[in-house]
Amino acid sequence: MPILEIKDLQAGIAGRQILRGVNLTIVPGEVHAIMGPNGSGKSTLAQVLAGRDTYVVTGGSVRLDGQDLLELSPEERACAGLFLAFQYPVEIPGVSTSYFLKAALNAVRKYHGQPELDAMDFLKLMKQKMKLLDMDPSFLSRAVNEGFSGGEKKRNEILQMAVLDPKLAILDETDSGLDIDALRIVAGGVNSLRGPDRGILLVTHYQRLLNYIVPDYVHVLRDGQIIKSGDKNLALELEARGYGWLEEPAAVH
Amino acid sequence: MTQVMTNTSYLQRLLPTGSDSSTSGPLWLQARREEARRQWLRVGLPKNSDEQWRFTDLSPLAETDFSTPAAAPAAVPSSDGRLPGLEGAALVLVNGNLYRPASRLPPAPVKIALLSQAAAADSKIFADLLGAQAHPSHHGLIALNTANFSDVVLVEVPAGVTVAAPLNLAVHALGNQPFTTYPRILLKVGANAAVTVVFSFTGPDHLAYLTNSVVEATVGAGSRVELVKIQREGTAALHIGSDYIHLDRDVTFQSLSLNQGGLLVRNNVTVTLAGPGSQATLNGLSMTAGRQHVDNHTMLDHAREQCASHELYKSLLAGRSSGTFTGKILVRPGAQKTDAKQTSKAVLLSSQATMNSQPQLEIYADDVKCTHGSTNGPLDDEQLFYLRARGLACNQARAMLTSAFASDVLARVWQPALRTMLEDLVVTELHRLEREEF
Repeated sequence: MPILEIKDLQAGIAGRQILRGVNLTIVPGEVHAIMGPNGSGKSTLAQVLAGRDTYVVTGGSVRLDGQDLLELSPEERACAGLFLAFQYPVEIPGVSTSYFLKAALNAVRKYHGQPELDAMDFLKLMKQKMKLLDMDPSFLSRAVNEGFSGGEKKRNEILQMAVLDPKLAILDETDSGLDIDALRIVAGGVNSLRGPDRGILLVTHYQRLLNYIVPDYVHVLRDGQIIKSGDKNLALELEARGYGWLEEPAAVH
Repeated sequence: MTQVMTNTSYLQRLLPTGSDSSTSGPLWLQARREEARRQWLRVGLPKNSDEQWRFTDLSPLAETDFSTPAAAPAAVPSSDGRLPGLEGAALVLVNGNLYRPASRLPPAPVKIALLSQAAAADSKIFADLLGAQAHPSHHGLIALNTANFSDVVLVEVPAGVTVAAPLNLAVHALGNQPFTTYPRILLKVGANAAVTVVFSFTGPDHLAYLTNSVVEATVGAGSRVELVKIQREGTAALHIGSDYIHLDRDVTFQSLSLNQGGLLVRNNVTVTLAGPGSQATLNGLSMTAGRQHVDNHTMLDHAREQCASHELYKSLLAGRSSGTFTGKILVRPGAQKTDAKQTSKAVLLSSQATMNSQPQLEIYADDVKCTHGSTNGPLDDEQLFYLRARGLACNQARAMLTSAFASDVLARVWQPALRTMLEDLVVTELHRLEREEF
């Protein structure tokens, strides 16, 4: 069964339509990349999938692991296994990263009928996951994203992904604002989370990220529709030729 | 709403009857009582037309038929207002009088004295301190307190003394018909001393009563003093607190005003930086729901140079509650290198809650830094979505954000045990607000 099945998804904001019939299917184990020029609807797609209520879905369907995603609240989607790594991770002064992550992890565990992790087990898990991303343990006591550098914020997103262990991870412009070292670390973290049970959807403007996280499929989103799909070579072609040569909507993967 | 107080019959009604208060005690006291009576009859309650009282309508006070409380109740219920989890001395005041059976008096060298029991020789210190800052001419409620108080409690921390545990003044209102109480407290801290004093105000729920309290504190040079006010009056109470704090040179002063109770609440805080090199940090946290109204009115009088004042007042407002923060800063001529910073932040948990913030700066020196800022609004949507996108239920996410909002004010409290107790009070209160958010 596909982990994500999007059919003819239409959505917009304040009367303006942005997604005009998106179709996309991801099966477990696959990494898909969505590329496209600014304003094509990439981030809207990511936000709509995560349940951001500033966007209104006007048509189509989305299933996550067979379940109707669109009728779930953002927290239910997260608990059901959807994870969005934010393009702009939000600062939350006064809430420590460890308190936040423990609450999030236990919310997801509770949803699945698992017992909450105690402080010791949680710390053990955190240490193991933070090593993966070359993060200093002092991260845990800092307020969520407050005063973090761009690279720290993105690493924190991937750390959360590693801890919450989603079925489907959507990474929205995870490469933006990263220098090459930070990009390597973040990409290394994501690659370590690739696996036969997980689907990954990369949303990116540039091909650069795809040198580090090599996708199985690449889709081009334009004016709210996927107009072309291919393998990783499509990304290279886009890098070389830009988006201009793609005019007509093409068959969808 | 404002044909307010055209009726002046309340003026006499709120003054003590008979001759006991104005013709008893030492002569200086009788004279001050008389002066206060006259002042009260002349000015009455502050009105909304007074800029400093614009947002707080005191007419319920004029319209309530208060009876006078028994001066010294025979028995006090177990909920006598003392704070749980606080070690150290506790003075329990019931309707303004020290209630010894429930009190744990502080050991020497801290001194406790009562005006009602002061020998003629000892009354000089009362004569010196009482009204030295809180003058009846400031506003009618000071006059009313001065005309009415049943006793004056003096707490004295001698020079050089460090009091390790917080000293609790549990100010408890007791009665079963609408009543008034006029606590009057003096605090004298000598030079190079250190103390934390916790004032807690409690009283019966569902009963209209007035607590009109006046505190006058003087802090000697080089001392370190923290005053924490925990206002948890009953659900229908009117609470007016007027605190005056006079700081000598090189003092480190901090206050916290935690407001959770009361229906109509006004806190006047006046800090005079009377010596160079002192620092005053004023923190506030108000948590209101229903139709509660809390008005925090602060005045920082920078009388001398090289002083710093920092104010951070926060409000969490649910239901149809309302709040006001007014921050007056006066920088007198010659108070160079003043560094005054003022911040008011409010989170409106319901669309019907309201908040007014206004700075009032008066600056008569040229080499000063004064900043102010205020933000009022609902919880941040981006933050809420971020937390929910990680699996936290909406109410859990809201609770996390509201408690984070309150946390920095509490984190500043010096005494760890007191901080923990305050955090517990805040968490409990957050649950009350949560039930009433919308």
